[in-house]
Amino acid sequence: MAEIPKHRRVAITGVGMVTPVGNDAATTWANLRVGKSGCGYPESFDASGFSTRIGAEVKDFHPDKILPRNKLLKYASRPHGFALAAATEAFADAGISPTESDAHRWGLSVGAGMMSVSFDDLKTVQRFAAPDGNFDPDGLLDDDFPVSPVSFSRWQSNSGLGLLTQQFGIRGYATSVHTACASGGQALGTALKVLRRGQCDYMLAGGFDSMLNPVGLSGFCLLGAVSEDNDTPEKASRPFDLTRNGFVLGEGAGFLVLEDWEKATERGASIYAELAGDGNSLSCYRITDSPPDGNGPIQAIEQALRDAGISPEEVDYINAHGTSTQMNDQSECAAMKAVMGQSIDQVHVSSTKSCMGHLIAAAGAVEAIVCSLAIRDGIAPVNANLETPDPDCDVNLVRGESRSVPIRAALSNSLGFGGSNSSLVFRHPHFVSS
Amino acid sequence: MKDPAKRIVITGAGAVSGAGSDVASIWEGISAGRTAIVPYEQWSGENWPVKIAAEVKENNRTLVADRKLHKSISRTDLLGLYAVDQAVQNSGLLDYRESLGDSETTRFNDRTGIMSGSGGGNYRSNYDFLPLISETKGDLHAFGSELPNMVTPMWLLKNLPNNVLCHAGIRYQFKGTNGCVTNQCLSGLQSVVESSEAIRAGQADRMIAVGHDSPFEPENVRYYHGHGLMSESVPRPFDKDRDGTVFGEGAAAVNLESESSAMDRGATVSGELLGSGCVSDARGILRLREDGDGVSRAIELALADAGISADQIGMICAHGNANKASDESEARGIRRVFGETGIPPVTGFKWAYGHLIAASGVIDLVLILEALRHQRVPGIPTLKEVDPNLSPFPVSSSPQETASDIALVICRGFGGMNLSVLLRAR
Repeated sequence: MAEIPKHRRVAITGVGMVTPVGNDAATTWANLRVGKSGCGYPESFDASGFSTRIGAEVKDFHPDKILPRNKLLKYASRPHGFALAAATEAFADAGISPTESDAHRWGLSVGAGMMSVSFDDLKTVQRFAAPDGNFDPDGLLDDDFPVSPVSFSRWQSNSGLGLLTQQFGIRGYATSVHTACASGGQALGTALKVLRRGQCDYMLAGGFDSMLNPVGLSGFCLLGAVSEDNDTPEKASRPFDLTRNGFVLGEGAGFLVLEDWEKATERGASIYAELAGDGNSLSCYRITDSPPDGNGPIQAIEQALRDAGISPEEVDYINAHGTSTQMNDQSECAAMKAVMGQSIDQVHVSSTKSCMGHLIAAAGAVEAIVCSLAIRDGIAPVNANLETPDPDCDVNLVRGESRSVPIRAALSNSLGFGGSNSSLVFRHPHFVSS
Repeated sequence: MKDPAKRIVITGAGAVSGAGSDVASIWEGISAGRTAIVPYEQWSGENWPVKIAAEVKENNRTLVADRKLHKSISRTDLLGLYAVDQAVQNSGLLDYRESLGDSETTRFNDRTGIMSGSGGGNYRSNYDFLPLISETKGDLHAFGSELPNMVTPMWLLKNLPNNVLCHAGIRYQFKGTNGCVTNQCLSGLQSVVESSEAIRAGQADRMIAVGHDSPFEPENVRYYHGHGLMSESVPRPFDKDRDGTVFGEGAAAVNLESESSAMDRGATVSGELLGSGCVSDARGILRLREDGDGVSRAIELALADAGISADQIGMICAHGNANKASDESEARGIRRVFGETGIPPVTGFKWAYGHLIAASGVIDLVLILEALRHQRVPGIPTLKEVDPNLSPFPVSSSPQETASDIALVICRGFGGMNLSVLLRAR
């Protein structure tokens, strides 16, 4: 039996989400429970000419209603708006936020997306500096070329961090990370480490991203990583199904308020779950391909369980990375089976990307919240669109509908392009490991 | 911190910049007062107000031998891999691994991690789309359908911020805990901090930490200059006439391990990381606090983490980006900790290799370790008259004497970020 490590415990006391299936945590969770799809045809730009014309867009999002008369919104890109909204919800939910006296004990850890410019800004550069398609730097010197502080501020690698620390007055440790699809998970893992080493007592942690724009969607179309089931968007994301053919690109944000366990219980906070363990490995295999035998993800899952002091038979739910690509799902199943051993038949497994699509740098953070809610409510959410299970993915998938089942501990995997693997373990607040 | 398992030592380093392609040559140039900031060659600066930068002289083939990578990753990634290579070679890790049996090798790889600090996306990375935008004249439907004919299928992979992590991993098979920090100027040095913390916490036995960036590109120069952040001459940190920074490109890497890991394999130790502190000003993306509160809090946290007092510090490597407001608030923050008269000699290196943004803090760390080892605080040759608003402030155009074998490195970034790291020469 694994031994519980003797370090500071971390409570999840607030959550907030903006996703393709809901603009807050309650709506998102309600829709995930009934397997409602957020995939469809993007409305923010004309995707009709792309090989993939579908996506999982956030709908009816109006950050000015969530943050009325807020001057920062001017500097916020679309994903920054998601981040500010989700973080606002998480603080309200936790019932605690930085004050003048404890702001320096609050930290921030975010997983930020890789987009470095908006499509409109890129078109402006083309108009001035590449009218015939060939880039001429001198075109940027035109008197009318806009050198706007707004655009400049928006597209720094840590702009999201800057907006969040300013909005909420966070004055302690702050970091922004990017390991592609593992970003959100690694951001939470980093937050856990910062709290354990005592640099902060409270952390806001999460991820935000939107690549649902002409350049972002192009990147994935060119790679052939996204499903081309253009006539059936709601069925296109089907992790672990034999007929799966790529992921559906989503967007959104998820943020959690993490708190020193003692402080949370002293103030009588309602605790969703304990963020109990973090595991982190590099596959060292290929840039997009997953190792078929699970070597890489295996080490991350093992580390996370060991770090949490949880044994495989105590895990009741796994929120899989489950992107719905042939290779990821097969490799991830190999890894889950290798680590869980005989317990694999007891643990309920689902990928909520089947409903939400793939939120890229936000995925790990949103899925951490899904695990927290699954633990609170004792519900393993459904893996939608699973009609013909892949015999290579013969784990106990939550097929058909969500299952009511007490969850003592949950595991969330995030496996990124570039080979970074992140696994997080969540423990029910009242569960004491045997 | 006496426990050798928790004491973090430096057992390898590498660097590449306009000022040289290894640590020794960069140090030699700095000692001789040579700047690498010269008229640039990437494009014609004839019509540009800013005509200078510190470009790396190495071409892609000398940076990375594998030609396949030249097309599949970006120049900033090649720089990062080059610095990682140096640090790994310099550390003797591979020879040691060779000596291990099969199961020990597996454990060694699983307990060795890589942490990169990356500039994230740059503007240039999107230029692969310019011909397509031009051709389709704003018609997005045509853009989508012509896409596969006009843009490389590798576009996304070429521009992943975590490419150095991925490719260094494939090359060396170091499979342990890892990450990629995209925190603007802090990225590289924060990856050093997170690496040392991973070892302290027992998550890894050794870590390669690397920062890499190539901020020097036309759009970035245009914006920095347009916002008053960029000088048209070699930067003059802390000078009364300072007027901004100048870009360079480059990378630096260190190999960190626990003292017990280093002792076990008989590694040569060059320095020790003593502690760090990181805080946010919470004043927004571009604004900073004039009173230097963030700088002083970061230094105080580092002192507490290291368990030493301010008067034990022998020299300070300042961020010193030569921006009016930034240098002034930095000097104020330093004074808040050390008092008017207790400040040890201060220097900074951006006059030599330019501002490397994501790689700036980690290359400063590598070079200040050289300064400690040579017991010499290099001067800032572009300094003519110390800004009277800052004085007394112990910067000099000529070399100064170090007061001890401990240095403080300060690194600051957008988002009101402040990071300080303490290290000792060994």
